[in-house]
Amino acid sequence: MPQFFLNKRLILLLVSIIILVALIGFSLKDRQHLTWPEKFVKDAVVFVQSLVHQPAQLVAGFFENVNDLRNTYEENKRLKARLEKYVLLETEVQSLKKENEQLRELLDKKESLRDFVAIQATVIGRNPDRWQEMLIVNKGEQHGVKKDMAVITPRGLVGKVRSVSPFSSNVQLLSALDRKNRISAFVQGKENVFGLIEGYDAEREALLLKRIPYDAKIKKGQNVLTSGLGGIFPKGLVIGKVMDVVPDEYGLTQIVYVKPAANFYDIDDVIIVKRKIDELQEEEEKR
Amino acid sequence: MKKFFLPFLVTMVFLFESVFVELFSEKWFQSYLFVPRFLLVVLVFVTIFVGQTDGMMYGFLFGFLYDIVYTEILGVYAFIFTIVAYLTAKAMKIFHTNSFTASFLALTAIVFVEFYVYGIQLIVGGTTMTFSAFLNDRLFPTVFVHTILVLLFAYPLKQKLLQWTAYRREN
Repeated sequence: MPQFFLNKRLILLLVSIIILVALIGFSLKDRQHLTWPEKFVKDAVVFVQSLVHQPAQLVAGFFENVNDLRNTYEENKRLKARLEKYVLLETEVQSLKKENEQLRELLDKKESLRDFVAIQATVIGRNPDRWQEMLIVNKGEQHGVKKDMAVITPRGLVGKVRSVSPFSSNVQLLSALDRKNRISAFVQGKENVFGLIEGYDAEREALLLKRIPYDAKIKKGQNVLTSGLGGIFPKGLVIGKVMDVVPDEYGLTQIVYVKPAANFYDIDDVIIVKRKIDELQEEEEKR
Repeated sequence: MKKFFLPFLVTMVFLFESVFVELFSEKWFQSYLFVPRFLLVVLVFVTIFVGQTDGMMYGFLFGFLYDIVYTEILGVYAFIFTIVAYLTAKAMKIFHTNSFTASFLALTAIVFVEFYVYGIQLIVGGTTMTFSAFLNDRLFPTVFVHTILVLLFAYPLKQKLLQWTAYRREN
């Protein structure tokens, strides 16, 4: 036995395993902020990476453009057909917006969960180990980004901010597995049905919308949007479309499979979204 | 300038992994998860052709960077990259030093690291992937692509590293 402990390398290995477990435990607990050395290292690496990223993006962009050119004719035809519908929709939206504003003024209700401030950001990297789908973007605390803010692309919601450092932040995609990652959402219809987005089915490539009442009637193709009731996300961000509805394992509630509107794999630019209502409250607190 | 060749190379490979996944993460890579482990391959080569201490040092340093910047679970890669460098140095006592054994060891290291990280993710609750899915969708494509890449790059990489070692010894 004493010989066993005299082996220096073995002791070193044991000590490093203990440190490893301690570090993993430390980084897994629900951290609100990163420690300052982490922030510093991260910003330094992200700065260098953004330099490398640009030429790489150019090269990749060239091949993408060539690919796009091949489909131009087909696409043009389809788009022209859609354009006419779009004009109609546009006028309708305009009049509805105006009406909404007038009604709000009548009620004297100025702020809404829908309003948000957008922070544009560029994706400069992705987690290469691919267990947790994460993006690295080039905006951070200095630009007003905070933990847990919603992240969208023009097509829809993609994820939320997982951690921030002064000049960069990590975005966790909706497809990442995280039990803490819950989003309050609703299915749009005559009567809105509310539930929680909990988890992602990698095989069917669908988000799971759970806690739907068993008697709610939901059809394929209905839109799923954020409800804004979770406290951080604004209302009305597009998540996706209903793919399938199944009863859950106990039959008390239903699970809706939601096909995400945004593409999780081809993301170049994102918009980080901050609710206006929170901003107003912050200002009031400062006073 | 030549003095900084090795640190520069390792840094570039480290950054390129992330950029690579971001730019080439299209549909094709979705059903087959290809995980870039270029850094690991370079680390194994450095350990063999430059030296054990260099390998372990770079392994620890860049493993820790990997943890902080990309995965946000501290210690996982810093630990395994150092261990891999150490084990590679031990294994080289049995093998002859040439680019084929180096490639073989690099591929073994990839398999080893993939299993280790899968184990950690299972314990931590970061994944629900089944073992067969892990083998078929993740491990085999990764090893397959790396085999091709390593066969292409093993010889030039070895020459460059040997040159650099010779240069360092002179000065």
